Amino acid sequence: MKKTIFYRLSDKTYCGVFILPALAVLVLMVAYPFISLLYYSTLNFSILRPMQETQHIGLQNYTELLTSPDLWDRFIFTGKFVVMTVGIQMLVGTAIAYFLQRDFRGRDILFTIFMLPMMLCPIVVGFLWRYIFNSEWGMANYLLKLIGGEKMDWLGRSENAIWAVVIADAWMWTPFVILLATAAFRSIPNDINEAADIDGASPALRFFQITLPLSAPILLIALLLRLIDAFKQNDLFFAMTGGGPGSETATVSFMLGKLAFGHFYTGEASALAVILLLIITGLSMIFVRYLLGISQKG
Amino acid sequence: MKARGRWLGSLVLTAFALFSVCPIAWLFLSSLKSRQDLFSLPPKFWFTPDLTGYAAVLGLGVSENAAGSVGLADALFNSVIVASGGTFMAVLLGTLAGYAASRFRFFGRNDFMFFALSTRMIPPVAVLVFYHVMFARIGLTDTLLGLGLVTTFINLGLATWIMKGFFDGVPQEIESIALINGYSRMYAFVRLVLPMVKGGIAATAGFCFIFSWNEFAFSSILSNTHSKTLPVRVSSAMGSSGIEWGQIFAGGAVLVIPVAIFFYLIRRHLLMGMTFGVLGSKGR
Repeated sequence: MKKTIFYRLSDKTYCGVFILPALAVLVLMVAYPFISLLYYSTLNFSILRPMQETQHIGLQNYTELLTSPDLWDRFIFTGKFVVMTVGIQMLVGTAIAYFLQRDFRGRDILFTIFMLPMMLCPIVVGFLWRYIFNSEWGMANYLLKLIGGEKMDWLGRSENAIWAVVIADAWMWTPFVILLATAAFRSIPNDINEAADIDGASPALRFFQITLPLSAPILLIALLLRLIDAFKQNDLFFAMTGGGPGSETATVSFMLGKLAFGHFYTGEASALAVILLLIITGLSMIFVRYLLGISQKG
Repeated sequence: MKARGRWLGSLVLTAFALFSVCPIAWLFLSSLKSRQDLFSLPPKFWFTPDLTGYAAVLGLGVSENAAGSVGLADALFNSVIVASGGTFMAVLLGTLAGYAASRFRFFGRNDFMFFALSTRMIPPVAVLVFYHVMFARIGLTDTLLGLGLVTTFINLGLATWIMKGFFDGVPQEIESIALINGYSRMYAFVRLVLPMVKGGIAATAGFCFIFSWNEFAFSSILSNTHSKTLPVRVSSAMGSSGIEWGQIFAGGAVLVIPVAIFFYLIRRHLLMGMTFGVLGSKGR
């Protein structure tokens, strides 16, 4: 056998060589914007007006943001949106995956159909639902009238608009939960299910006592990924409501976009980005600690 | 009792299938409508097809409202290069890193995995300005290379996580035996382990491709002219003269086709891969 260089390398070297390229890309793409964010967040600076004298204003950007009631309203709205849409996605996605467990003809086709919404371009999905929810000529109101309901102003009133976006977001991303839940359910060894059948466990009992606990780690990963994505959801709001009416349906991420690219308050936007990242990272860290704890036990 | 459960199941699945399909069908129908038919009341299900939306998106008929200045062929070329290049790099680097994270105990391993995941948490708007600045400094502004780098970056975290899950499902003994028998770790990795996770690589590539192909936030800012991708080009149909619904729907229909084909090709692998290794592999 020819001895190539690969035989002389230690595991340590392999580990380094395998990890480094990924680490390099991640660090490069994270470090530069982060250091810039921290630096600019202490400046009174706008990228559109570079000639204007910039001043170090310390933490003023942060205190201004954190004391403005508007920001807290945005956080509350974002939280409401995230809880609503992710809650629906997890419940519906798990239920659909549950019913998909049984073998029947055309299951693969059905499964592919379920995955379709996820494949569409998010910005197009936003416009599609905006079209459907149009109060004048939209399909939603047409169907509503058909079943004897009243016309609704879906996108013009914030209490309806949040539901419109939740429906669109859940429509697009429930497939992701279905996918993960199906994968989780299928990886449960058959003998466990058979043993439960022999013991005469009811389907409900079997689901809640066996299937759900055994697939919990995957469902938690699905939950985490959906929470993260819902929290930074921007495309749908951009296309459907534009944050309106007023800024009542603007999420924190949408507000950030407006600060950075609408008003070009680079300093203030940087400060908000730092706050936002701290919150997301902190929450996820707690979540992942819990998650990794589970996966190491199993 | 079983029969009743079955009925309920079929009912729920049928209802959800309708809910999934109808908006997409509506998208395709609307993409064929003329401007009058788009806003007709009640909505029309039967009409004479009108291809102006497609013509504008494909850049055939040059009308004043045609989406953007970059032709479809260019945007398509850009999208294919950026999405496939970014997917390839993310899967390659993610596979290597996922293998290392699965097999070697190194300092800060859990921190690395969290760091990899946390890159997914960054809202694009938070870092866009500085990518723009960074790219201007290193000469990557409005280049396919720059967009490819961003695409690699946004997919790398998830790719690493999914691939680590797959490698976790492959018994360590495979490499141990190979090493004892005088093979190198490289040989064991390339010849023995990689073939076992082929499905995982396909699933990872599938996901990365969907995200790359449809990526809008980064490319809309970072690609101004030459490197404009398809989603950016389609969205330019919402110009100052109002929203060109026909063009947006036609663009959406054109965009989804490659993804659907790709998904169909990898459909069998997708399910196996999505357990992230946290459940262990079946039968072990």
